[in-house]
Amino acid sequence: MKHHDLALSRRTVLGAAAAASLAGIPAWAQDKAPIQFATLLDFTRVYTFLTDEYSQGQQDYIKLVNLEGGIEGSPVKLIIKDHASYPERGIAQYNEAKAAGAVFFDFLSSPVANALMPRANEDHLPMIAFAHGRADAADGTAFPYVFPSAAIYRSQAAILLKYIDEKEGGLKGKKIAFVHIDSAFGKEPIELLERMAKTKGFEVKLYPYPVPGTEQAATWSEVRKNRPDKVIIWGAGPGQAVSIRGAVTNGIAPKDIHSVLWLSESDMSAFKGNEVVGVKRVTLVNTGTNSPILKRIVEKVVNPGNGSGDKKRVGWSGYNIGVASMAIGVQAARLAVQKLGAPLTGEKLKAGFEMLKDFNAEGLMPPLTITAKDHQGGGQGIVSEWDGKQWAPKSDWASAYQDVVWDLIKEDEARAKEKK
Amino acid sequence: MFYRLSGVYHTRYSQTRQLWPIPADRWQVGILAALALLAPLYMSQLYLSSYLLPWLIFSTATLSLTLLMGLAGQLHFGFAAVMAIGAYTSIHLTRAGVPLELALLGAGLMSAVIGCLFGAAALRVKGLYLVMATLAMQFLVDWVIINVNAISGGAVATLQTPRVSFLFVPLESLTARYYLALTWAVVVTLLILNIKRTSFGRALVAVRDKDFAAAVIGVNIFRYKLLAFFISSFLGGVTGAILAFCFYKAVTPSQFNFDVTIQLVAMALVGGLGSVIGGFLGAGFVLLVPIVLLNLIAWLAGSGWLNISTSLMAHIPMMLYGAMIIGFLLFEPLGLAKIYDNARKYLLVWPFRHTQS
Repeated sequence: MKHHDLALSRRTVLGAAAAASLAGIPAWAQDKAPIQFATLLDFTRVYTFLTDEYSQGQQDYIKLVNLEGGIEGSPVKLIIKDHASYPERGIAQYNEAKAAGAVFFDFLSSPVANALMPRANEDHLPMIAFAHGRADAADGTAFPYVFPSAAIYRSQAAILLKYIDEKEGGLKGKKIAFVHIDSAFGKEPIELLERMAKTKGFEVKLYPYPVPGTEQAATWSEVRKNRPDKVIIWGAGPGQAVSIRGAVTNGIAPKDIHSVLWLSESDMSAFKGNEVVGVKRVTLVNTGTNSPILKRIVEKVVNPGNGSGDKKRVGWSGYNIGVASMAIGVQAARLAVQKLGAPLTGEKLKAGFEMLKDFNAEGLMPPLTITAKDHQGGGQGIVSEWDGKQWAPKSDWASAYQDVVWDLIKEDEARAKEKK
Repeated sequence: MFYRLSGVYHTRYSQTRQLWPIPADRWQVGILAALALLAPLYMSQLYLSSYLLPWLIFSTATLSLTLLMGLAGQLHFGFAAVMAIGAYTSIHLTRAGVPLELALLGAGLMSAVIGCLFGAAALRVKGLYLVMATLAMQFLVDWVIINVNAISGGAVATLQTPRVSFLFVPLESLTARYYLALTWAVVVTLLILNIKRTSFGRALVAVRDKDFAAAVIGVNIFRYKLLAFFISSFLGGVTGAILAFCFYKAVTPSQFNFDVTIQLVAMALVGGLGSVIGGFLGAGFVLLVPIVLLNLIAWLAGSGWLNISTSLMAHIPMMLYGAMIIGFLLFEPLGLAKIYDNARKYLLVWPFRHTQS
């Protein structure tokens, strides 16, 4: 990360030079103290299907940011550690990073994130919970320092339902099978599905399969007996490919399979030929290397040989989600420093997050508007379809049934309060 | 040398029967107790909250487990579930307005009763078959907690601990939470040290070594096996509650899943089955060594000694850790406690070479 002073943006260089000439010291001495982001992830245990790509995207993006002048002249330093999804280890690493001066946190693990949300609120240190962690964190009034910053799982289920309603012949009278992993994550959308089933007049049946999801044969033969019109699969990691295999072998057409965000290129490329062409998935961050940020990463970081991992993965779903997560943090930090001045603190960064308005990371993701109340940022996504090689978008960025999503969040909060 | 026995005369039964009859041992315990008591004064918040506090609590859990696995010889692969029952009971009791002191008792009792139900299997099966029975407990309890919304808190699935106080001291500050955990660790430690030298403890050891032989000499194995399950589960339940209130400040099912059970069994095994000091050493090893190794590798990479990808950086500590476990168990199959014991016995007769036991 020593390269950042070679390619500072022009304004920063000029500003630094002017300041330096006033002070009579060389420009390189104007190096500001780095801003520290802590990405404490699970490389080794539960989230292995994602973390390598995700962290690679984060690191490459931060390298790009530093090459382009950092955040208002301050370089960004990443603290990367492996907590293996053990909450106690995550807490220890959080405390360490906090003592080292980190102002922004990412855990990418629901158990660890859930354990740390109350602490982040107490310590006034913002954390991003991009597609993980508890659902009611979307409410900024309850969790002022937690920023999901993307469609939470209920919003993702809503996006799928809306797509079926509008593009696949309507929901009314349909039989929908919800095949999910039997964990808090897998059960999160159930309330939304059941409520929508009442208002939209479709029937939803639940088919849980046991953790970790590698054995689903019994579940899928149950599904077949019921002959559903559409199937929604809700899992992550190795279980997802097993789900798709189960659906296909039980005679469900790929075009009727709809998945949560976590269905990656590597899951799909395990299937041969056209076997699974037509499977649909919620997408929250564009895949591929066509967006301007990705083009610059390829040009300035990856091609000169400074990439943080396998070149092949640049532009994959998980990689781009990593890029987006850091892009959001960096943009919030930039706004905070511009409006509130350096040095960056947790409080300022929180304010920075809440200043984000229609931020789409140069077309990488849907426009994100975070307010003091809405930390989900609108809950937009698209549905994309596997065409045999990649995920092709099938709809425009939009959110779905947000009123129902927020009703459920409020009900969760009320329930949590009445227990206190 | 340090442990010199000459000149140490016990003139009363109470002196020979005390917990630490050798002055050197008493000194060590005294110094450790002083260090533990004064920890909040000399230790930074970081080390206190991220290392010492979890170490103490997990050591206590290991001690509760080692009473069952080490002394009574009943293998238990569902101890995280026992702790989960305690944690959830205590949190629901305190939310209902019960004071924490009583909630801890309630947590212990609930764990003990449910633990005994599954422990009853031990009356019929032994060894690996008991492992299966207790494993079933782990998965059943996990499943019930996740699927009964009244217990887990619904889709949100995280229950915050309410503001509570223990004996009129509010548990807000780290220091208060540390001292509560320390008190409980000391109580459990003394309890198990004392159980080991009572008729109860000896009966447990007899059951462990050969249960029908124990029955022949008049030990009621039905009673002692159930008692072992009851006491161990009681201690485990309270420890689970302490873990929730003093360390996590919240409860989610994933804090007590099967992996935690494996960690606890590993702590008991690596430390040395049935040993009190082994409980502390084993918990320290399993909990802290991976973190230390991780920091070491990160530091090596950060200072340019090691140029590797982040993924490999995360995996190297695991390889080292695995190698260390194998290494230690090859070097001394009876665990870390036995290594300590060997050193102590060597010093007892130093400069001579032969030990008596």
